[in-house]
Amino acid sequence: MMCPHMEAKLNEYVDGALAAPDRASLEAHLAECAGCRAAVTELRSLSAATATLPRSIEPARDLWTGIAGRIGKRETGYGKRFSRGALAAAAVLVIALGVYRLLSPFTAQYRPAEGGVGWAAVQADVDRATEELSRILAAERDRLRPETVALLERNLAVIDAAIAESRAALARDPANAELHQLFSAAARQKVELLRWAARAAAS
Amino acid sequence: MDPTDLIHRAQQGDRAAFEALYRAHVGRVYALCLRLTADAAQAEERTQDAFVRAWERLATFRGESAFSSWLYRLTVNEVLLGRRAEHRREQRIVTADDPAALERPREPAAGLVLDLERAVAALPSGAREVFVLHDVEGYRHEEIARLTGIAVGTSKAQLFRARRLLREALNR
Repeated sequence: MMCPHMEAKLNEYVDGALAAPDRASLEAHLAECAGCRAAVTELRSLSAATATLPRSIEPARDLWTGIAGRIGKRETGYGKRFSRGALAAAAVLVIALGVYRLLSPFTAQYRPAEGGVGWAAVQADVDRATEELSRILAAERDRLRPETVALLERNLAVIDAAIAESRAALARDPANAELHQLFSAAARQKVELLRWAARAAAS
Repeated sequence: MDPTDLIHRAQQGDRAAFEALYRAHVGRVYALCLRLTADAAQAEERTQDAFVRAWERLATFRGESAFSSWLYRLTVNEVLLGRRAEHRREQRIVTADDPAALERPREPAAGLVLDLERAVAALPSGAREVFVLHDVEGYRHEEIARLTGIAVGTSKAQLFRARRLLREALNR
């Protein structure tokens, strides 16, 4: 049995990742420790066995049909690059318009909707645009580093919670101008974050 | 046919050329997905996702690396993204008093006949992913850390753990 504290060193030794002085010191230890020698032998055997694993395994069924069905509806990146970029830009514009409306004097001083135009329409604008931008971002997200995606998701969750809370409060007290400002601030944060992420993913 | 020509034609939207690329690479992509997920159904799904994503991303392939390297890296991303979504679904389903269920090894997938394949498939997911990426696919710890969002030290710890579990399994 290997010395319990030697696991990392033995693995690095087998991987050839130890610096010369550490390697010499480890080899001196190995000369005296049968347990660690046996562990090195096992690690090398495992490495040799791993190298024999087949590089290729054919799936049990032909997967092309499913792929062909999906790509038949989509363009390759060449055609799509511009259109997706344009779509993202359009979504940003729409969402920016929504926020402009949110922050405009008219909406900051809430008045009841007239002919469908008003706070509800503004919220609908924001919802539609954020959904569009989120969809684009979801399609592009693998261009971002995983830790960036994780951070983005955490921040979006916080902002979404703030939006949901202010929206619920507005439902109870629709004439409250302060609540409108709170909602506006949260929506603006979301816009900024989504806009940055969409740009980062597209770059 | 010349692979470069196939890639160029596929980039122009030629689906037959893309199918030829699929036929040439599906075995490697599926093997990667199968080992990372340890689940044949998920591996099929991720393989399809990877090729669909490759079709969408063909314009971004500039030939700086081999097409195969580009495709396999994209596949790893696809599997890891799928895993995160799956993990979120599982978290919603697993009861709060049983968090260890998320780290429990899965049953080995059917069709993996070799002892080592079975042992790899039975590893906990974190250890399995790092083992497959490092020891089978040859990624460096720094790359694994970037791809999976874990620290380099965690990647090493998962690898050593995987090897320890595999040695134990193979010695039984």
